[in-house]
Amino acid sequence: MRPAIFDIRVSVLFHLYLRRLRAHTVQELLAGSGVAVGVALVLGVLLANASLLGSTEQAVHGVIGSARLELAARSNDGFDEHLANRVRLMSGVQAAAPVLQESATVIGPRGRLSVRLIGVTPGFVTLGGVLTRNVSAGPSLIGEGVGLPSGVARAIGVRPEHTATLLVGGHAHLVKVRAVAGAETIGSVSESPLALALLGYAQRLAGRPGRVTQVFVEPQPGADREVASELRGLATGRLDVVPADNELRLLRAIAKPNNQATTMFALIGAMVGFLLTFNAMLLTMPERRRYIADLRMQGYDWRQALLIIGFEALALGVVASIAGVVLGYVLSHTLFHRVPVYLAFAFPVGDQQVIQVSLVLLAFGCGVLATLLASLVPISDLRPGRARDAVLREAGGAGEGIDRQTAVWFGIAGLLLIALASALVLLDSSLILIGGAALALATLCLIPVAFTGAAQVLRGASEHIPSSALVLAVRELRTTSMPLVALAGVGALAIYGSVAIGGARHDLLTGLDTNFREYLGTADVWVTTGGNDLTTNSFQASGLQAKLARAPGVSSVRVYQGELMDVGSRRMWVIARPPGDGTIIPASQLLDGQLAHDDELLRGSGWAAVSTSFAVEHHLRVGDAFALPTPSGMRFFNVAAITTNVGWPPGALIISTADYRRYWQTSEPSALEVNLEPGVGQVAGERTVSAVLAAYPGLDAQTRQAREAQYASNSREALQSLGDISTLLLIAAALAVASALSATIWQRRALLASLKIQGYDSHQLWRALLLESMIVLGFGCMIGSVLGVYGHVLASRWLTLTTGFSAPFSLGAARVLLDIGLVAGIGLIVIALPGYLTARVSSRVALQE
Amino acid sequence: MSALELREVVKHYRTGREPVRAVDGVSMRIAPGEFVALYGPSGSGKTTLLMLAVGLLVSDSGTVCFGDKDIGRLSEREGARYRLKEVGFIFQSFHLANGATALDNATTKLIGEGLSLRSARERARPWLERVGLGDRADHMPYQLSMGERQRVAIARALANGPALLLADEPTGNLDSRRTRETLALLRDVCHAQCIPGLLVTHDAEATLFVDRVYTLRDGRLSDGLDSELAVASL
Repeated sequence: MRPAIFDIRVSVLFHLYLRRLRAHTVQELLAGSGVAVGVALVLGVLLANASLLGSTEQAVHGVIGSARLELAARSNDGFDEHLANRVRLMSGVQAAAPVLQESATVIGPRGRLSVRLIGVTPGFVTLGGVLTRNVSAGPSLIGEGVGLPSGVARAIGVRPEHTATLLVGGHAHLVKVRAVAGAETIGSVSESPLALALLGYAQRLAGRPGRVTQVFVEPQPGADREVASELRGLATGRLDVVPADNELRLLRAIAKPNNQATTMFALIGAMVGFLLTFNAMLLTMPERRRYIADLRMQGYDWRQALLIIGFEALALGVVASIAGVVLGYVLSHTLFHRVPVYLAFAFPVGDQQVIQVSLVLLAFGCGVLATLLASLVPISDLRPGRARDAVLREAGGAGEGIDRQTAVWFGIAGLLLIALASALVLLDSSLILIGGAALALATLCLIPVAFTGAAQVLRGASEHIPSSALVLAVRELRTTSMPLVALAGVGALAIYGSVAIGGARHDLLTGLDTNFREYLGTADVWVTTGGNDLTTNSFQASGLQAKLARAPGVSSVRVYQGELMDVGSRRMWVIARPPGDGTIIPASQLLDGQLAHDDELLRGSGWAAVSTSFAVEHHLRVGDAFALPTPSGMRFFNVAAITTNVGWPPGALIISTADYRRYWQTSEPSALEVNLEPGVGQVAGERTVSAVLAAYPGLDAQTRQAREAQYASNSREALQSLGDISTLLLIAAALAVASALSATIWQRRALLASLKIQGYDSHQLWRALLLESMIVLGFGCMIGSVLGVYGHVLASRWLTLTTGFSAPFSLGAARVLLDIGLVAGIGLIVIALPGYLTARVSSRVALQE
Repeated sequence: MSALELREVVKHYRTGREPVRAVDGVSMRIAPGEFVALYGPSGSGKTTLLMLAVGLLVSDSGTVCFGDKDIGRLSEREGARYRLKEVGFIFQSFHLANGATALDNATTKLIGEGLSLRSARERARPWLERVGLGDRADHMPYQLSMGERQRVAIARALANGPALLLADEPTGNLDSRRTRETLALLRDVCHAQCIPGLLVTHDAEATLFVDRVYTLRDGRLSDGLDSELAVASL
């Protein structure tokens, strides 16, 4: 027996849909494109975002394997490796393995890459991490050399037994690449930015003999608490005892603002997709309603009619969503796929794409659901008591419009949503997503009332201006038809998202530029290990400071120290400034305190400037004392000032180098600040310093300007994906609106043909169509930009609240106009051709043969 | 006052490889003040003849003249001007703009001439009153009955004082009472304004309201109502 639903065979359902597809190919393609664009935008954004965390997760788990606890050093200098033996001997410990992790740069013939150098012992294999599963072969495999994941080897252009240069701890080493591990061996970790070496060799490379930075511990089942307690006893307040995957928790906290912004874009993408689908379905509504009437008049009951219509929507939704998933996958691999540089300094963020099935299913489900929802409109004809052929006898036109009263109600709803969004964001910054979505909905709600108002104004104008194009355009607008509202809504949403999030992005960049300019302004030339913007890679360079100080044209050389330190759920940026620096706190970043006075305090001892988020978390105010877990144990500082996060999302701590040396127990600089004598240019000074550095190949000299440019470039790259998503959303919206508007115009061929018979020439009609399109796009964009600017204000406020970073609001009118120009321009260019062809419609279309 | 005159007009179409003679040597003359029906079944060439009359098609041979104007020789711009200023056209499907009131729909041709909407309304309003819709001027098309819509379309066709009235199945969507009223109105307008009027129809009863009837069958024109066709159509 063949399967049937409500007495209709499934094969018949397919047959009916294929028949529909043949008869209405363009309409179905249009509707399908809307669904696919929405699904692609949502999936592309979500996948790209998930990959950031996913790649780090794979790298971290690739190292830690089954370890659940970690004994971690609080500084790069680490701790004595023999502590690992004591851990191993603890009761309740199943396996324990020491590891040394150090930031490094690996250089090959094809390029250079920042990696995390990981030194492990052959015993590490007991933890079962995929990265170290072949280490048991020990010296025979990687011996005096490094093993690289295939992604790293490919990026720098090396193969097994090739030689690469490894920059670590301020030194350059030629290292043999002993092994390259591909996906077949280590899975997706093969794309992680890691370099593996045996512990002893890694210690020599890093210049830290006998030191390790972590001991990963796998407790026996049920012994986690007991082992953690024992580890804390062993740590004696100088080391941290944390979950083995603590790094992921820290990364999630850092990536939160970025996640929220991209999720906002995904939401807007979903709304745009739904509107496009809805609009495409609206275009087919008259025909679908007639189809339902036909079916019922032929004897189909309401369930069967519903089944046929539902099946057609389902088929369209499934096919279009599959196309959207493929497109979204491509987008996430190409345009949206970027690793933020600033995160790569602090976490092993990889290049690999992590496909989360749940996200694919979510985007697919949304696409299908949107199609089903959009197809609901004609189903109202199935309601009880409605004549089966009612639609065939009805006069057209009335049902497609939004009446004035409804438009006003929509407007009121829009204003309420704006008030709600404002209240939400001001009350609690964590509600930004809901606030943003509320503003996006408000944008849509305001369009009908704006259209009604605009039509009124334009109608008034058309009474006096003798322009047939204006009158004809206004006639179409006056219907405030659902398709036009939906199309204007798509443009408005895209502009809203772009202006709000793009504006916040711009503010953030301006703030970062100012911050880093002040941060770097204390020296003319900076000597560092290169690359790392946070300047946290320390190096050993005995005698270098003195040599530089003697160099011609150099007036002073100071030791700058810095580090990333995990404090609770934050990976804090510790900045230790030498007392000779002109300013200690970047002036623009001071939130509470007096700059000159606070700088003086920070030149002494026992004072710290803390980021506002840290201060709030620990209930600190200026003058309060607080304890900080340092490598030498808990140390007390007084709050000299409260600052922004100084450009590092989890926050920063500014102290003096004297305190840093004492409590971190290291005198290794992470930078040397070189000031030049008056009259010596930065470039000449940099040449002089570079000449001295010839004997220190792992170190790099940069003028202040060059370093500022590097920071600016990295800041922009870090936020590039937001810009890319925004631009793509605008272009996709413009193209989609243009194609849908073209289809709407195409449906009016008969009316246009009648106008031609009445004496209008093609050019007049074309002008009227372009004017109408311009008004639709223009009003949509205008509402989107107004709400977008307001969203921008709220987003800036949210940025300040969530990141503590000072991102001063600037309207950026040119940017807003550019966005509007992009959408309206692309839209009009695309509409121009079909509009022209429609205007040249054969007059025969208006006549009945 | 001008007459519409077709002389030995031929128009071919090519469907596939075979040329089809849509209009085959048609000659006719409609004098000012005369309301004439062109009767014929579907596919007989009526629409082609209308398109030739308004200058949207050019004949393969023969001439279409309105007064001293050779319609086939008009440029695109001149053709548009001719249709706008001199031809009043009524469609079976009305083709009213949904976003415009009855009065504003009646101004369609006037605004095309360059009038402001306000001036156009002043000129169109008497015509709307003339067709009995003075009290419905501010109604939207979907608020009007089919018959009322067609009367709006008639007011639109006449509002700028055309010198030629063409109607393509204007009663195709109307009931019999509205049909009679509409046809009587068109005839009266032609007579009163002393303009030639051509009614294209496949409804034999419609021919009762005209001064003369032509029958078009397979592109060929004959005088009078083809009774064989008329009976067949009943």
